[in-house]
Amino acid sequence: MNRNLKRKLAQYGKYFALSIWALIVAFPIYWIVATSFKPDRDWFAWPPVYWSEEPTLNNYAVVWADHKEEYEGGTQYSHSMQKPWKALRNSLFISVISTFFAVGFGTILAYGVSRYQILSEGRMFQLLMLRMVPPIVIVAPLSLYYSTLHLLDTITGLVIIYSITTLPYSVWMIKSFIDELPLEIEQAAMILGASRLRTLWEIVFPLVRSGIVATFLFILILTWSEYLLALILSKTEVATLPVELSKYEGSVEGRVYGRQAALAVGVTLPLIAIGIFIRKHLARGFSFGMVKR
Amino acid sequence: MPPFPGSALSLLQNMNSSPTSNTNGSTKSRPRQLVQARAVQRFKWSVLSVLIVVLVAVLFPVLMLQLYFSFHGYSVYGGSWWDAEFVGLELFEEVVTDPRLGWAIIRSLLFATGSTIGCFVIGFGLALLMYRPFRGQAFYYILFILPMLTVPIVIAYTGEMLLYQKGPVNDLLSSIFGRQVNILWLANADTALLTVMVLEVWNWVPFSFIIMMAGLAALPDEPIEAAKILGASKWRVFVEIQLPLLRPVIVLALILRFLEAIAEFPKAWSLFQGGPGSATETIPTYLYIVTWQYFEISKGAAMSYVILLIMVAIVLLAIQILRREKIGLDQIYDSRKETTA
Repeated sequence: MNRNLKRKLAQYGKYFALSIWALIVAFPIYWIVATSFKPDRDWFAWPPVYWSEEPTLNNYAVVWADHKEEYEGGTQYSHSMQKPWKALRNSLFISVISTFFAVGFGTILAYGVSRYQILSEGRMFQLLMLRMVPPIVIVAPLSLYYSTLHLLDTITGLVIIYSITTLPYSVWMIKSFIDELPLEIEQAAMILGASRLRTLWEIVFPLVRSGIVATFLFILILTWSEYLLALILSKTEVATLPVELSKYEGSVEGRVYGRQAALAVGVTLPLIAIGIFIRKHLARGFSFGMVKR
Repeated sequence: MPPFPGSALSLLQNMNSSPTSNTNGSTKSRPRQLVQARAVQRFKWSVLSVLIVVLVAVLFPVLMLQLYFSFHGYSVYGGSWWDAEFVGLELFEEVVTDPRLGWAIIRSLLFATGSTIGCFVIGFGLALLMYRPFRGQAFYYILFILPMLTVPIVIAYTGEMLLYQKGPVNDLLSSIFGRQVNILWLANADTALLTVMVLEVWNWVPFSFIIMMAGLAALPDEPIEAAKILGASKWRVFVEIQLPLLRPVIVLALILRFLEAIAEFPKAWSLFQGGPGSATETIPTYLYIVTWQYFEISKGAAMSYVILLIMVAIVLLAIQILRREKIGLDQIYDSRKETTA
C-alpha cells in the first residue's frame, strides 16, 4: 500500500514537472499566435490582452495579402507591400537549392568515406570546422570578395556559402545512415553481377533514401532560419524571410507587433511541420550523426 | 594550424599516401583488384577535387583579403581599398589592447557557459523523466522540441512582446507572486545579458533534451538490471552506472551547444544591438558593430583574425575531445547491435 502510494506520488510529480515545462514552452508560442489575431489597440494594452475579444485576420491580410487597410491612427504600413512573398520566394529558392547541393554532394562524399575511406577520420573531423567556427569571423572579407565577383545580394552568393556551411552536417549525417547498411548486401549484389553503379542506384540508394530525405529536411530547417549571413550578404534585393522579418524592428512606423506576429507565424509554421515530421532524426542531425536513435 | 584552406591543402598532401579499396573478395584475380583500386582512386580524386576547388576558391581569397585588411588602414570613408596605407601591426595592437573586445570575450564566455549549463540541466532533467515510455510521451516530446524549430529571429520578437515592462510576463509573475513585479527585462543593463540567456535556454533546451533522450535510450540494459538485482538504489544506479555510460553523450551535448552559443547572434542583435550601453556586446555583436556600424573594416578584419585564431584553437580542442568520445559512443551502439541481433 505504502509503496503503491509512493509510486503514485512519483507519477504525479513527474506529470507536474513536465506540465510546468510544457507551459513554459507553450506560452510564448501561444502568445505569438494570439498576437497575430489581435487588432492593433490590443498590442500594447495594459493589462495585457491574453485573447482578443475581437480576433481579426487583418494582420495576415496586411502582411501576406497586400491588403493596405488604414488603421485607426490613420497611418498606413507602407513597408509590408508584397515584400513577404518575395522574401518567401527568395528563402525557398535559397534554402532548397543550397540544401540540394549540400545533400547531393554530401551523399557522394559520405558514400566514399563510408565505403572507401576517401577521407580519413581526422579529415572528417576537420570538416566539422566549416560549421563550428562562427561565420562572423570571415563574413566581412567574404562580403567584399562577393562584391568584386558581383555575388553580393544574389541568390547564388547565399547558395554557395550555405552549401559550404551545411556540408559537414550532410556528410556526417548521411554517413551515419550508410554506415548502418551491412556491406554484405552490396557485395551480394555485385557477386550476382550488378555493376557498381547499378548496385548504388538499385540497392544502396533505396535503402538510405529515408535517411537522405531526413537529412535534406534537417538542413532545410537550418538554412531557412539562418540570419547572420543572410543579413550581411543580401539585404536589399534578395532578403530572406528572417531578414525581412528583422526589418520590422525599429522601423519608422514603430513597433507593429500584430504584423510581426502574423509574419512570424507564417515563417515558422513550415519549419515546425517539417521538424515534427523528422523528429526521430533530429538528434542524429544536430549531433552530426554521432548520436543515433 | 591554419583554418579551412590549410586543411584543404593538407588534404592534397595526404592524398597519395593512404591506400584504399577494402572490397577485395578473396576469389578475385590480381588484375581485377588492380582495376578496382584504380577505379576507387579515380572516384576519390574526382570527389575530393570538387571539394578542394570549392573550398579554396571561396575561403582562400577571403582569408587573404582579411589578412590584407588587417595590415592596411582602411575605412569606407577613405577611398578605394586597394591603395589603403600599410600600417603593419598597428591594428593588431589596437585590437589586443581594446578593453571592449576583452569584455566582449568575457561576456561571450559567460553567456555560452551559462546557457549551456541551463540547457543541459533542464534538457537532461526532462530526458530522465521521459525516456521510459509512458502515457503522453509522444505529446510531450513533440511539444518540447517546438522551440528548437522556431526561427531565432521570431524568438527574439516573441521575447520582446512578452518581456517589455508592461508585458504579459511581468503581469503573470505579478499574479503568481501576488504583488507587483516590475522587472525591466529589456532596458536594464544588469539583466539584459540574462534576458538573452533566458531566451537562448528556451530556444535550445530541446537540443540537450533530444540528445540525452537518444543517449538514454541507447544505454544497454544489462548493467542496470544487474545492479538493481544486487540491490542498488535508483540513485546509485544513476550515479555509478548510467552517468559513466552516458559520458560521451553528455560531453557531446555540452560541447556542441557551447560552440553554437558562442556564435549566437540573431537574438542578441535584434533585441539589443549590443545595448543597453554595451551590456549585451558579445563577440559576434561587437564584431558586427565595428564592421557594419562604425565601418572600421580594417579594425574589424584584424579583430576577426584574432577571434578566428582563438576560435580555431577552441574548435580544434573540441574536435579532439569529440573524437575521443566518439569511440565510446560507437561502442554503445555496437554493443546495442549485438544484443538486439
